[in-house]
Amino acid sequence: MVALTGKISKGTLMDQVYIPKDRPMGFEIGMPVVVKPLTEEEEVKPIHCNIEKLEPVKVIIVQKIFSELNFADNIIITGSFLESGFQFNDIDILLIYNKKIDFRKIEQNFNKLFGLNFHVIALDYNTLLKGLETDPLYQAMLSRYISKKRLIFKYKNKIDYKILDLHLLKSKQLMDNFDYLAGNLKYGMARNMIAIFLFLNNKKISNEAIDSAIKKVLKEEPINIKENVIINKSIFLQEYKKLYKDLFKIILKGVKNGTQ
Amino acid sequence: MALNRKKFIDLFIGNASNAILHKILEKAVEDEIIRKYYDKEFLNSFELAKKYREKINPISSNLPEYSEIKERIMKKVNNELKIRISKGYKNIDLNLVESATDGILSQLRVS
Repeated sequence: MVALTGKISKGTLMDQVYIPKDRPMGFEIGMPVVVKPLTEEEEVKPIHCNIEKLEPVKVIIVQKIFSELNFADNIIITGSFLESGFQFNDIDILLIYNKKIDFRKIEQNFNKLFGLNFHVIALDYNTLLKGLETDPLYQAMLSRYISKKRLIFKYKNKIDYKILDLHLLKSKQLMDNFDYLAGNLKYGMARNMIAIFLFLNNKKISNEAIDSAIKKVLKEEPINIKENVIINKSIFLQEYKKLYKDLFKIILKGVKNGTQ
Repeated sequence: MALNRKKFIDLFIGNASNAILHKILEKAVEDEIIRKYYDKEFLNSFELAKKYREKINPISSNLPEYSEIKERIMKKVNNELKIRISKGYKNIDLNLVESATDGILSQLRVS
């Protein structure tokens, strides 16, 4: 495709771009054209963390996401999209950016562009670090990722019991509405609670560690929870309620005594 | 059909209560950055409540069960907050419950 370059010059009411009178076909008066900033397309070599292999079509999607969000300070892709195969529900993106941004609009635009569901969290680097210090699920999420630029995380676990109380709240619905919830929601709630359990016990948090603890503590296969075919509902619920109650007790005791 | 309606109302109440609880508890968090971060958590519960509200008819006008829904949400939220207060949780303002409930119910066209 033929492209012309020009410079934006200042006008009185509107600014303009001048193009030569003698120009190639396709640039006739009245033809619609696209004007976009001419910046050097930098070659992006994504950083892979704990990812052995990614399907070629996913690599293309990652590159396209990076190019669409090139204004951001960094882009981190995480979640089930990075698992082998195409069973993912959505693509999780952490957008590191210092300015306020309408992340719902990005989700909608990407949904139209790729025909896939996106979950975008926009935050600055300091907020990400705070999240990592205090949020077990952030640690799980960032145990495996692809990013545009290299990430260096220096943080220490900070047990803020009021924050953990808010986190644990996300898992409460499973006990209140067990029969109504879809498998992926049940799995999300179990995963959240187990991540808190590991965090409080100062254990490593990764997707594998969480799944293994679900199996051990809640006595159910993670895949069964996801597919909503829980083999022994009463045992699962009994273990779930017991762990929830124990964690809630520890958290409320911690709130009373302060942050560690 | 009647069962579906009950199911969606229960799910709506659960998520709306969570959103309100989040809103009130996050005010008790001192750190400004963390508070900003928890605004998003409120949004998640709110979006879920909105999703379930869209499955309950009438979608575009108030629900006949409005008073019952409000009462159940307030009871749930108050119970959760009172447990925390009894265990020594500070800076929880129970006076915010009714206005926060009214706000969410009006935003989601329940009242």
